[in-house]
Amino acid sequence: MIVPLGHVFLLAGLIFSMGLVCLVAHRNLIMTLIGVEVMMNAAAIAFVAAALRWQLMEGQVFVLFILAVAAAEVSVGLALVVSVYRRTGSIDPDRYNILKW
Amino acid sequence: MMTSWLQDPSLMAAILTTWLPFISFLLIIAFTRDHRRLSGGIAIAAVASSLVGAVFLLARHWGAAQPIHYAARWLIAGDVYIPFGYLLDPLSLLMLSLVAAISFLVQVYSLGYMAGDPGFSRYYAFQSLFAWAMMTLSISSAMLQLYVFWELVGLSSYLLIGFWYEKFSATQAGKKAFVMTRLGDVAFFIGLLLLLLHLGNLGILEMNSPEAAARMPSGLLTLAALLIFGGVVGKSAQFPLMTWLPDAMEGPTPVSALLHSATMVAAGVYLFARLFPFFSHSSDAMTVFLAIGTVSMLLASTMAMVSRDIKRVWAYSTISQLGFMIMGLAAGSLFAGSFHLTTHAGFKALLFLCSGVWVHLYETNDVYEISRRGGRRLKTPMVCLIIAAAALSGLPPLSGFFSKEVILATLAGLRNPVWLAAGLLGVFLTAYYAFRLVFIILFPRGQVQEEPAHHGMGGMGARYWAMGLPLLILAGVTLVLGFLETPLHKFLSGGTAAYQNVGHAWLPYLSAGLAAFGVGMTWFEFGRRSTAQVGFVERIPTVRELFAQRWYLDHMYRRFVDIVIDRVFSRACTKNEDRVINDSIDGFCHFTLDSGHLLSFLQSGKLRYNLIVMFGALALVALYFLLA
Repeated sequence: MIVPLGHVFLLAGLIFSMGLVCLVAHRNLIMTLIGVEVMMNAAAIAFVAAALRWQLMEGQVFVLFILAVAAAEVSVGLALVVSVYRRTGSIDPDRYNILKW
Repeated sequence: MMTSWLQDPSLMAAILTTWLPFISFLLIIAFTRDHRRLSGGIAIAAVASSLVGAVFLLARHWGAAQPIHYAARWLIAGDVYIPFGYLLDPLSLLMLSLVAAISFLVQVYSLGYMAGDPGFSRYYAFQSLFAWAMMTLSISSAMLQLYVFWELVGLSSYLLIGFWYEKFSATQAGKKAFVMTRLGDVAFFIGLLLLLLHLGNLGILEMNSPEAAARMPSGLLTLAALLIFGGVVGKSAQFPLMTWLPDAMEGPTPVSALLHSATMVAAGVYLFARLFPFFSHSSDAMTVFLAIGTVSMLLASTMAMVSRDIKRVWAYSTISQLGFMIMGLAAGSLFAGSFHLTTHAGFKALLFLCSGVWVHLYETNDVYEISRRGGRRLKTPMVCLIIAAAALSGLPPLSGFFSKEVILATLAGLRNPVWLAAGLLGVFLTAYYAFRLVFIILFPRGQVQEEPAHHGMGGMGARYWAMGLPLLILAGVTLVLGFLETPLHKFLSGGTAAYQNVGHAWLPYLSAGLAAFGVGMTWFEFGRRSTAQVGFVERIPTVRELFAQRWYLDHMYRRFVDIVIDRVFSRACTKNEDRVINDSIDGFCHFTLDSGHLLSFLQSGKLRYNLIVMFGALALVALYFLLA
């Protein structure tokens, strides 16, 4: 393994933090979804590196799962965003307050 | 057990005597409420059987020296058990026969008096209930059993006093009777518990035995005696719980005759006689009883002197005669009290039943009104009333003379002459108020209204005789009962002690003379032609007002209730309810609401904050694991 494991984890951590910031800082549902995607991919990088380090295939299998879930999530999530936009005319989650007392 | 009670005729008679009226009560309530004649028949048949049973028991045990005691365990809890049983001794048998006889006569009388009343069946049901409770009370073997039936007597008298519940005053009177007697009963019950703690047993025979007194400190014994006497004060309408009795005259007149002269109020005196050996262990308590009896007797006599309501006069006289009995008992003679109890039951029932004839006929209680409408033309009640009033005043040779004389002789035996003087004053007052009524009815003033013939006794026929026959029987009893003094004394004392009159030789003459003086004075004020029928106390407005307002006892109660109950107690309760209970619940509600508001900020609905919190928490958890 050419790249040290610590570096890869550092990278994964950075990407995860960026995804988190993207998730909480934006008032835009699409950006929220992108944030979630970025965080999942960061996790996938960490899995791949760990699988390589300990020579275990489960890590790689998990990455495949993550990819599949991410694909499903994007399609469902975007569909929800479209639907909610049609209903409320906004994609700002702070405006969704019909259920709030 | 089944065979044993069937084989013992006394026990069987006791069971049948006491429980038949209860069965009749159940039958009437459950099945025959719509059949008046059947209801009346059942009740009278039951009470007649009871009378036969009671007389049978009395005859069988006449002269028996030892009390007969039957007991079964009724409630068992660990070591403590409550017995249920019968105690047949001369006193209880005498009382049982008395109750059965008076109940029987009153129920027969009620056939006439209550005829046509819509509640006829109900009336007989309550009468049966009352007879059951009172008869079982009189032959109870243990105090707790006695207490249960004591309360049942209170309940049935409440039902009977408030029998005409459409009348507001009747329901009020029933309530008053119930609550005021209950005041005394609370003390009674506390006294019983005190005894139960110290003696571990409330059998009447055990309480009366000398060992009972030895097992308790004398201070506690006096306290227990005083507390139990509280029940007597309530039930027998003694000072200071006396004002319920005159109000209880709201019930039908035969009910007054039954409950408030011969049996229910007599239950208090009976309790005193029943526990006489127990009470006499404490001489301090006996002095208190003597004082209470004296005060009640004198107060009630004065109240009777100014009342215009014929039934109330007899009610006051009941209080005063009961006070007289208590004086006799407290002065130390069991025979004096119980003999007067017996004779009083006869002539007081007679007085009430006689008055009932007029009350029924003229529908008024006012004695002047009865007089004006020609009350004296009803010969039977008039003659009987004179006999009974003479017995009440203690004129020889009627029963009251003999029994009063025994009490006075006992009082004369005391060292302090005050009690005897009070007793003699009572004799004079009694004669005065009793004959005041007689003369008012006998010598009407002003225009006498002539009633149409069909309205008089001729039109009543069978009903009149249903009412007249008990009068004649009771009048006969009143005439002869006094001469049974010696055999009764022999019976009550267990056939051992020979009876000798302990009093001074001059006492009978003095008391008869005083009574005659009272009658003469009444004649002077009410009987003579050309008098205005105004008594000497009625000439002084303040005194008359004082007596008519019952020495302001009711006002004092009113004030007491206003100040202590309303102002202090109720107000404290209201405040407690308002400030403590209400406010604490309010506070709890406000707290819940406010904290809900506070927590609702967490549920802001802002996705980003939720996420931040979530990740923050996760980060903290991760940090924890890293550091650990």
